[in-house]
Amino acid sequence: MLLFREGSREAFEELFTRHHRAVLRFAWRMTGDPSAAEEAAQEIFLRIARAAPTYRPTAKFTTWMYTVARRATLNYLRDTKEDGEKVPILSEGEGEDGVYPVQLPGPEDRNPEQVVWEAQLTERFRTALGELPEGHRAAFVLNRGDGLSYEEVAQVLGVTVQAVKTRIFRAREMLLSRLSKDVSA
Amino acid sequence: MNCRDIRETISACVDGEASPEEAALVRGHLASCGRCRVLERQMRAVGAGVRQVRGSVPDGFREAVFARLDAEGALPPRKKIFSVSWHWAAVPLAAAAALGFFLLTSREAVRAPVPQGPVTSRVETSAPGAPVPGSRVPGPAVGPAVPPVSPRGNAVALSTEDREMLALLDILEDPAAFDANGDAEGMDLLAPGDSADSPNPPRGGRSGA
Repeated sequence: MLLFREGSREAFEELFTRHHRAVLRFAWRMTGDPSAAEEAAQEIFLRIARAAPTYRPTAKFTTWMYTVARRATLNYLRDTKEDGEKVPILSEGEGEDGVYPVQLPGPEDRNPEQVVWEAQLTERFRTALGELPEGHRAAFVLNRGDGLSYEEVAQVLGVTVQAVKTRIFRAREMLLSRLSKDVSA
Repeated sequence: MNCRDIRETISACVDGEASPEEAALVRGHLASCGRCRVLERQMRAVGAGVRQVRGSVPDGFREAVFARLDAEGALPPRKKIFSVSWHWAAVPLAAAAALGFFLLTSREAVRAPVPQGPVTSRVETSAPGAPVPGSRVPGPAVGPAVPPVSPRGNAVALSTEDREMLALLDILEDPAAFDANGDAEGMDLLAPGDSADSPNPPRGGRSGA
């Protein structure tokens, strides 16, 4: 980022190569829509480029990047809310322990009934995640999805570590209350 | 501690964010509470679910981002290859310039005017004493004639050995001086390995002439 600030286009290209997947993934998780995620991710990189002249390396670059990303997606979500559009959170794949097995290409001999059940579970999970308050969803996605620590999440969201702890716990409670029929221990 | 109070700490413990004291507290509670053990597993499952929301990179995403950035002027222009080549061409250009300068100065040195004055033999053999017998007649000089002079500009006195050496050099330059008396005419030219009592006379020789 510092090299880019000094006028190196190649530095920004390298930055893009390193982080565009993470940015897209975050935007996907926050908006829940492929085209919305792409638009939001483009906006995130525009904001990063615009902010370069004032960038100060006071924290990890990724923390700063997620701060920009979160603001960009937040604005996007607000804009779409004003238009009255729903912003579901899409999910695919299955959890590490197999509780959310959906949409990942699997063996061809999978049970069709299982595939249908997984698709239904996915739809319910999308709905539940999309119904979380944005602040709770951002904390949960940043910590569980992107691997940021509570402290880093606190920096991104501009709140205390205790607030992050509470938000993530509340996000879990809400998800579990909506998915209680599907989530087995 | 009751279940309601410890659930938030269980969530932090699932995320690896609990302190050692909190983690010990949670382990103690879970050991004695079946409901919270189930809740702890459900919390892990929900956390794992969000990591599978990956999406994919849309086709042309990179081009679209950089097109917008370039349109906004948010990126510095791409460096042209030509400017890079000029940068790297500096070394060979400098080398070529140095070579050209060397060649020019070398030609000027060759064209340097020959000192005017009486042209003598290449090597002044007679100075300051008497002329050496058999020395070449002074003729047109091939190169600049520079008599041996001392650093002060005076002619140097040659020793006897020097004069003999110079005489031999003159003979090498003028082969006719080698056989001034014609003695070589009566000599046999023997091939290597030939001897005086060889039954076969040497080919091409002028034996007995």
